Formats: sequence, C-alpha cells, structure tokens
Amino acid sequence: MKFKRLFLFVWAVFTALMILMVQGGVTSQEAFSSDNRTELSGGTAATVSKATKTAFAQPIKNLDRKRRRVFVFGDHLFNTQWVQAPSSVATLDGLGPLFNRNSCAGCHVRDGRGRPPLPHENRMLSKLIRLSIPGQTEEGGPLPHPLYGGQLQEQGILGVPSEGRTQITWEEEPGTFADGKPFSVRQPSYQFTDLAYGPLGDEVLFSPRVAPAVFGLGLLETVPKAEILKQTDPEDQDGDGISGRPNYVWDFAKQEKQLGILGWKANQPNLKQQIAGAFNGDIGLTTSLFPKPSCNAGQADCLKELKFGEQPEVSDEFLDKITTYMRLLAVPARRNIEGVSEQRGEKLFYQAQCASCHTPKLVTGQTSEHPEFNNQVIHPYTDLLLHDMGPGLADNRPDFEAEGQEWRTPPLWGIGLVKNVNKHTFFLHDGRARDLMEAVLWHGGEAQASKEAVLQLSETERTDLMAFLQSL
Amino acid sequence: MMISPRLSQTLSCLLCCSVTLTTVGVVNAHHHDKAGRQQTIAAKNVDLTPYVENYAEVVFRNYQDARTQAAMMQVAITAFLNNPNETSHKAAQDAWVQARQSYLQTEAFRFYEGPIDFVDAKTGEEGPEGRINAWPMNEAFIDYVKEKPDSGLINNPKFELSIAAIMENDQVTDEADVTTGWHAIEFLLWGQDFNNEGPGQRSFTDFVPNQNNNDRRRQYLTLVTQQLVSDLTFLETEWKPNAENYRAKFLKGDPKATVGKIFTALATLSAFEMASERMTVALDSGNQEDEHSCFSDTTYQDFVFNAKGISNVYFGDYAGYQGKGFDELLAQMNPDLNQKITAALTTTEESASQIDQPFDQVLASAQGSPQRAEVEAVVTALENQGEAFKELGPVLGTSVEILAE
Repeated sequence: MKFKRLFLFVWAVFTALMILMVQGGVTSQEAFSSDNRTELSGGTAATVSKATKTAFAQPIKNLDRKRRRVFVFGDHLFNTQWVQAPSSVATLDGLGPLFNRNSCAGCHVRDGRGRPPLPHENRMLSKLIRLSIPGQTEEGGPLPHPLYGGQLQEQGILGVPSEGRTQITWEEEPGTFADGKPFSVRQPSYQFTDLAYGPLGDEVLFSPRVAPAVFGLGLLETVPKAEILKQTDPEDQDGDGISGRPNYVWDFAKQEKQLGILGWKANQPNLKQQIAGAFNGDIGLTTSLFPKPSCNAGQADCLKELKFGEQPEVSDEFLDKITTYMRLLAVPARRNIEGVSEQRGEKLFYQAQCASCHTPKLVTGQTSEHPEFNNQVIHPYTDLLLHDMGPGLADNRPDFEAEGQEWRTPPLWGIGLVKNVNKHTFFLHDGRARDLMEAVLWHGGEAQASKEAVLQLSETERTDLMAFLQSL
Repeated sequence: MMISPRLSQTLSCLLCCSVTLTTVGVVNAHHHDKAGRQQTIAAKNVDLTPYVENYAEVVFRNYQDARTQAAMMQVAITAFLNNPNETSHKAAQDAWVQARQSYLQTEAFRFYEGPIDFVDAKTGEEGPEGRINAWPMNEAFIDYVKEKPDSGLINNPKFELSIAAIMENDQVTDEADVTTGWHAIEFLLWGQDFNNEGPGQRSFTDFVPNQNNNDRRRQYLTLVTQQLVSDLTFLETEWKPNAENYRAKFLKGDPKATVGKIFTALATLSAFEMASERMTVALDSGNQEDEHSCFSDTTYQDFVFNAKGISNVYFGDYAGYQGKGFDELLAQMNPDLNQKITAALTTTEESASQIDQPFDQVLASAQGSPQRAEVEAVVTALENQGEAFKELGPVLGTSVEILAE
C-alpha cells in the first residue's frame, strides 16, 4: 500500500513537471542562457553606455525636441528644493508642513540609491521609516498610525515640530563560509526619539526603507501583467521552494485594485502614483491624486499652515512632466560581458538559483506612449513579485497583500554602478548590507538554499559571482 | 598634475581601439557632375589631422586666457579682502564678470570626457567641471540666506575650513549642495538676488575682518578662488603644445572619432545644455531666479559667450588667433551643409544678442510676451544648430550626437 502511494505521488509530480515543460510555462528554475549575456539591459533604445556618476541620469536615445524639453524640465523638478508657502515662487512652494527631505534628488541623489546615515551624520538623509498599526484601510493598505500617519517625518517647516528622530544601532553577526573564511553582517535596531506628538505605542509597526534608484521604471511599467503573473507560483507547485506572489494594491486614479509592481513591497501600481505618493509623504506636497496634506489629527501647528499656498501644490502639469522625466530615464548598459571572471560568476548565479527570482529577462508589451519602450527584450533581473525572505530581513509590517517577511525582488540592473553614482555600496531595503556579498548573505526564506549555495563557494568563485553582479 | 597619469591610461585604452586612417594629402575642390548636381568629397579622402590640430590650439589658447583672467580675478579678490570697501568690492565683481567671458567659451570643449570632464571608470576620479561650474546651487549650504542667519559651512564653526574639507562636502548628499566654483564665488560676491531690477546686494561689510563669521567667509572665498585658478591651470597644462599631456594623446587618436567628439560637444552644448538646461527650464518654471548666473544677473553674457565658443570651434579661431577652421573643410566636402551651419551659428549669435537684459526680467514677464518670444527664438536656433551638427556625422564618416547629461 505504502509503495503504491509513493508511486502515485512520483507519477503525479512527474506528470505535473511534464505538463509545465510542454506548456512552455516558465518554471522558476531559470537555466543559464548566454542569450541573456547582453549589454542591452534596457533594450535597444533605452540602454545608455555611461558608467560615470551620471549613469542613472541619462534619457533614452534620440529624444526629439518636445520630449527633451519635458525631460529637462522634469529633471529640474526632480532637483528642485521645495520651499515653504507662501513664497515668491508660487509654482515651487508648498513644502511640508511635515516632510523628510525638500527635494526628490535629496534622497535619490543623481537618480540613484539612498543609504543609512553615516556615523557623523545626525539624521536620516535618504532613508525613512514607514509607520502603521495592525489593520487595513478601506482600500486594503496599511492602517496609518493615528498620531504620526504613514511615515515618520523627521523635519517640519518653521513653527511645526518635526515628528521625531530615528537612532540606529548596529550589531555585528559573524559567520563563516564553508572554506573557513569568516564574514560579518550587521543587524540594525531602531529607537525613536524626540517624538513630538506622543508615544508611538505598543501596536506600532514600522518599516525602514532607503530610497531606491529610479531609472528604467518606464520599461518595467510596460511589462504586461500576464508576463509577470506567469511567473507566480504562490503554492510552490513546482516544489523548488520558491513561490512568487503578486501584490494587489489600490490604484487611486482608477479607484480599483491593480497589480503592484513598484516599491520595496510592490505596493505601487504605476510610476505616477509612486511619485505623487512620494511628493505627499516625503516632501509634504499635495497633488490631485493625493490632495490631503501631510498632517494628522492632533498636529495643530501643522494644520494651521494649510491655509497657505495654492492647491494642489504640485500642478497636474508638473506631475505629468516629472512622471515623463522618470519614465524616460534609461538603463545603463551592462559592462565587461566578455570578462572571464564575470562569465564564470554568471554561471554561478544560475547554479545558485538566484535567477529564479532575479529573472534575467522580461519582454515589454506595447502600452507605452513612448514607442522606444514597446516590445523590448529587457534584462532587469527581477520578477517583480513578492517572496518570503525569512525572518532576518522581515519588517513584520503587512502592505496590502505583502506579508511581513515578503519583499519584492528588486531589479539588479545597474547595481554595479551604485558606487560610481552614489559613492557608497549599501544595499537591501534598509541599506544594512555594506557590500553586495553582505546583501547576498542576508537572503533567507525562499532564498535560503541560494544563500547556502553561496556559502559553499570557494574564494575565487565568490569573487567571480561579485564580478558578475558588478557587471550588471 | 596629479590626475594626468590616470587620464593617460584611459586614453591609451581608447587609442588601442582606434583605426589608422588612410589619408590622401590633397583635397580637391568640389565639382559638379553632368547633371549639375553638387558632388561632395568622400570622407575617406580627407585628411582631418590639420583641423584637429588647429582645434587643439584653439582649446589651449582659450584655457590659457581663462586661467589668466581667473588669476586676475584672484588678484582683485585679494585686493578686496585686504581693504574691503565699496570700490574694491565692485572691482572684484567686475573681475568675476570679465573672467567668466573666456571660461564660458571653453564650455564648447565639454561632453567628450576630455580633461574638463573625464571619468576614470576604475577609480571614479573625475575632471574638474563639477567643481568649476556646478549650478543650480543651494546657497544655504555655503553661507547665510534670508531668514537663516546661521546656515552654511561658513557659519558652522565646527566645520574646519580647508580646501580639502570644502571639496569633500561638495554635492555629497544633494546635487545642489555645491561648495566650489564660479557660482560659489558669485554668491559670495553678490549674495542672494532679491532685487527685481538688478543683481544681489551683498555688502562689502560681510568681508570686514574680525566681525561675526566674516573671517571664515574671507577664508572661504580665498580658498575657492584659489581652487578655481588651480583647476584652470590644470586644464591649460593638459592642452599645452609639445608636452606629454592630454593634447599629445588627443592628436594621436583616430581623427574621425576625434572630430565626432568635437561636434558631439558642440551639438550637446547647443541643443541640450544651452537650449534645454539653461533656457527652456527657466522659461517653463515661472521662477525669476531660475537662471544660470542668478546672483550677478549676468546670464545674458553666459548665452552670448557660450554661443561664441561654439563658433570659435567651427571657424577655428580664438580671439585674435585665426586657424584652419572646419568651415574650410566643409566648404570642400559639403558646401550646402557648411552654409547651413554657418547660417545657424549666425542666427544663434544674433538672436542671443537680442535677449532682454537682465535675463530674469524675461522670466518675470508674462506668457506670450515679446521678451519670452525672443528667448524661444534662441531655443529654436540652438536646436536647429544642434541638429545641423548631427548632420556632419555621416558627412565626416563619424557619429555626432546630442547628449543629455
């Protein structure tokens, strides 16, 4: 009897696998393919060969006059340091009353990546803390903290007390590779001080996030939902330990749930909403999408400031221009693809099953207003899906359908250029990893097996794997 | 200079890939075929070397002038600091305005990773452009601004003033946190511009010693002025004739590729940097002070001398020097395109000279005003000019692009 059941089980698994293979469905075990070894990370027109500090700030090739004008103006808005209303420049005021930084570029320096504060910096410059309490809003999103809202705004305009400060302490966690070489990763812990509006309470849920790089998003927006969804495997039916779940989030323009594709937890359905959300939460600017200012009940000084300035503070025209700017930001070309070490590292990347979630290749659809983004083969190294990354990385703060241990696979394109653009190599959602290897070593949950595989690598192999990542 | 050895490595890499051109010494004038169509001389039969050599000479003379003028400004600033009063303050400001004129023309030599804006991919080391001319800048990062009397590095006694420390803080956590260069000096000399009719109204008394943080301000101005002169000296040195420097390697490179870079620089300065970054952004923002040289209200001369720099390269001239210009080459290879470019350069220079002064008055004017239309005309002229330069690519057998930096 026992034997018969085992036979049936094996037969069922075998058949299921065959069906998957015959249907050509993507199993999450991505095999190495040299087709993916291309410099054209962003496809033909949206890849630029620039490896300098402006590598993330380039538009797609051959912009016509009209789009160049919008791009450059959007860039200007991205760099604009917004000021308090009322000011002599009504179009560029409305900062706060509560905010984190006064410009987009303040966190996304040169369209790049933020980091935790360095020891000599006394405040968070390109990192913030999302806040909520258990429960969900009507739209299904995290329930904002009753006193502090959706994030801790560490700055206020004159006369409005900032909400508080974040103190981070780091604890080293040593480990060893199989070959005996020791390493250490650092675990952050957070303390909130100078809280101006009362205690955060025992129920508070918080999630630290660094500003991600913002190029290539126009391409990711053009990837069809079906292309993303075909990689999902929520019940892990192929038994590879890797699930891949979609997040469904509220689309404020459409007033309905949509597939989330952007943000650390895939909690934004499109770029425009992502930008309007950042204007609102990070800079304290209203838009027609988010007309409610960054004050909460009980913040009397904040509410008093609301009578100043025109509403919305960012006009639809400006919101559209900055959205176009960010859509048009091209992807830096991959480098050193012929390098021996890079090629060996690339194979190791597949062998360790990294490519199961960091999907090398996606194909865009044809919904973009910019023809350059349509029908492109791109290499973002993400499946845009949520994965359980284990307790080590968990923020334990649900965000729509994303659970406390789940994170969206971040794209890896351009990751080797962060050091050139942002002069640092801090990675992961909270910037805890001090280099790419530390980032790899934090992978747990569905990625536990991949991490174990990396631990087994020899020193040369580890160097090769890093060389490959640096080439992206 | 300390940067040169690494620069040489980058260059020698470029040279490995270059292809030696077979050149024919004699170039015949264009002729017409039986149907009367104009025949242009194929790129492969043209020796570009003399034109590239002349370009290098123009670059050198321009940087030499820029360094000389900046050194004169430094003398005026020193005199001002030694004896701060209205007259010496005005003399320092005048010296800044004068010195800018030659520097602005050198902007035609950017955008191809020459000494001004090279990047060493391995070390991340970069040319001095960002240090020399970065803008827009967050004034409050350097010194006090309206309603913030204590802001800036100058008013932070904990910040130890040295050129190394100032450069270390340049554009680190924000691109706008500019600490050095022309516009930092401009801000220190003029102050914020809240004057609708003219430039900023900073008083010389900000530089009288032994008061408030004036000594720190004096030191700051001295240090950044010194750095500017030193950066310009580096550029001049890299372009000196008959030396082991960038110029030597530049002249050994594939002339076609080199000419591609020269014109990519001109196309980019025209259609991107001038037309878009410095003109349309200002027009579209509705902010009177959204202009390149906002403290001194000298944005007008920025346009005029940038345009002049582009013409210098095309015609192969600088100030009194006249050399073998690309116009001579094009007159042989493709007279129509030569005419088109020459006309575009003239239109740009003429229309730029028509812009109302000061430029911030244009920005303050209503949508659809004649003042705005004048600037829109320059934008169009510059875009036409950029696109005409792009057409040179196929004619010269190279690639000319409009980059967006």
